[in-house]
Amino acid sequence: MKVTFPHLGTMHIFCKAIAETSGIPYIVPPETSRKTFTLGVQHSNECICLPFKIILGNFIEALKMGADTIVMVGSGPPCRLGLYDLVQKVILEDMGLRYRWLTIPPRLTWQAIWKNYEETKELKKELSWKNILLFPYGLRMGWKKMMACEALEKLAMKVRPREVKKGETQRQLKKALSWVDEARSLRTLNEGLERGRVLIQETEQDPYRTPLKIAIVGELYTVMDPHINRGVEQKLGELGAEVTRTSWFSTHILRSLRKNKADQASERIRFFEASKAYLGYDVGAECNLSIGEAILRSQEGYDGVVHLMPFACMPETTASGILTRVGKDWDIPILTLILDEQEIEGRIQTLLEAFVEMLQWKRKAA
Amino acid sequence: MALYLGIDVGSITTKMVVIDERDEVIADVYLRNNGRPLEAVQQGLEMISSRLSRETILDGVATTGSARHLAAYLVGSDLIKNEITAHSIAVIDLFPGAKTIFEIGGQDSKVIILRAGVVVDFAMNTVCAAGTGSFLDQQAARLGLSIEEFGRLAQRAKHPVRVAGRCTVFAETDMIHKQQIGHSIEDIIGGLCDSLVQNYLNNVCRGKEILSPVVFQGGVAANQGIRKALERELETELIIPEHFGLMGALGAAKLAKRAKPCRTQFKGFELSRKPCFTRGFECEECGNQCEVIELVVDQQVVAGWGDLCERYRTSPRPIVG
Repeated sequence: MKVTFPHLGTMHIFCKAIAETSGIPYIVPPETSRKTFTLGVQHSNECICLPFKIILGNFIEALKMGADTIVMVGSGPPCRLGLYDLVQKVILEDMGLRYRWLTIPPRLTWQAIWKNYEETKELKKELSWKNILLFPYGLRMGWKKMMACEALEKLAMKVRPREVKKGETQRQLKKALSWVDEARSLRTLNEGLERGRVLIQETEQDPYRTPLKIAIVGELYTVMDPHINRGVEQKLGELGAEVTRTSWFSTHILRSLRKNKADQASERIRFFEASKAYLGYDVGAECNLSIGEAILRSQEGYDGVVHLMPFACMPETTASGILTRVGKDWDIPILTLILDEQEIEGRIQTLLEAFVEMLQWKRKAA
Repeated sequence: MALYLGIDVGSITTKMVVIDERDEVIADVYLRNNGRPLEAVQQGLEMISSRLSRETILDGVATTGSARHLAAYLVGSDLIKNEITAHSIAVIDLFPGAKTIFEIGGQDSKVIILRAGVVVDFAMNTVCAAGTGSFLDQQAARLGLSIEEFGRLAQRAKHPVRVAGRCTVFAETDMIHKQQIGHSIEDIIGGLCDSLVQNYLNNVCRGKEILSPVVFQGGVAANQGIRKALERELETELIIPEHFGLMGALGAAKLAKRAKPCRTQFKGFELSRKPCFTRGFECEECGNQCEVIELVVDQQVVAGWGDLCERYRTSPRPIVG
């Protein structure tokens, strides 16, 4: 048995940690590249959104490298992501690839357990007692690594707009993340995290800058994966904006387990409540939260909001329409970027540069 | 007299403007890329230099447009600026009271909202290039018309037909259908102009508050058909600047003047006679498989880009932003 999982930001680091610590063989798909795009687009159905194509590309590459068990997070309607696992299964089968599929349910319900019942029965035969005994420790390790990655990324988001040499923070972050990735025990992980923190903080910074504050909102895959959004977070940071986002693995996992800490839960609840002025009900996925977050960020004194969505994403298309209104009502500039398979990195750079410049003018005028 | 050069390398055309201290346009060039931006920049430089006196020295150069980085690597630029800002700067200087800028070029269509001489909002087409200059070009070519005739014919339409403007692929299907059932060419072209304007206003300008005075620029501003259709739809007269096709380059030149570099990075007009080309390859150093591009001028690699790790970025780079 060889487990594999899709790429999504730094997800491979902690998925790998879980498998590795429990002694389960795994294959990390090659980093998302143009080849991944090509494979994903070639085998996807028309009009499906970008995250679907890229995840499919990841799976194809991993299966060709010898993986045989796919672990994928499922979710519920109305976002199409909820049906991704089913469609991708059909496509991969049509391609003649052999594998087993494990859906991690978004919420632990009887239905979810039933969905996985057959697969788990099979899996049990292949897993040793050692694997099963070590699994809780693996989960703990994975969780710790995930939190470490998030801490480093959040720190980099603060440092980036203040860096003196452009691109240095990103290089330091990469190095720090690799230390987290390489750690084999909780002790070395903590050491790696500390060293990483110091390394990022050591980036030469200009303490006199007052960076713009920009919130990134939108569909979670496009917000969290730099391959899908063409490094929007890094680009904005390097243009001199301190970026924040509320989509992290920890927020989404805790939300599914309904174990959010009070402050995180209340943040999402506050976003949802704020969106009620424009939306009468839950549209699904992150739609209501994108709107609510934009409103609250304007009240918190943010300079602007960047809204990310895949082309043809239903919930976020709804959000983008409402956001133009929110921008006017709350006097906060909002830039919506629609992402698809086209090579639009140059275009994104142009839009972000112009957006940042506009915010700087606005700040000066105020 | 200090002179400043602005270079705007767009997807279809390359524009260059030289201004003096008083913002007067001394020389300008507007030429088609034919898909080869490097050659176009070289050719443009040669044309510009032929219009200036031999001893002319430039005091600053700025590049803009979608190939602004490529142009900057080639000519040596003091400032690289996105085209939205460049267009705004040009308009704000010439028409301080303007409240809206429509800019429709070869691959891009933009709308920029100005209030009190400051950009407050903008939009640009992202994944779709429907209704921009290249489609009009293509349709004119299909009908065997020059783009000027195309604009003239559009105005003669008596009953413009309905053409689906949402997507140019479908628009073409519609146009061919209308032609085959016997509609006049004037009415079809008129209908196309109307539908492209609808598409522009509904998609690019969606949710934007369009207030007059409206300045209309970019290559498509030359097209009478589109211009009239826009004026009809908005019920307002559009301001077409004298240098409507050069506004990006003009804005860049103005920015170069404002930046006032102590010593310009410009590599000189001789550049137009040096052999230059780009070469691309897939780097195999790691799993990223970056598509690296190198610029070679006179047998020397002067710049490399496209790599995530920056191992090919050897040359000094001008300021970006």
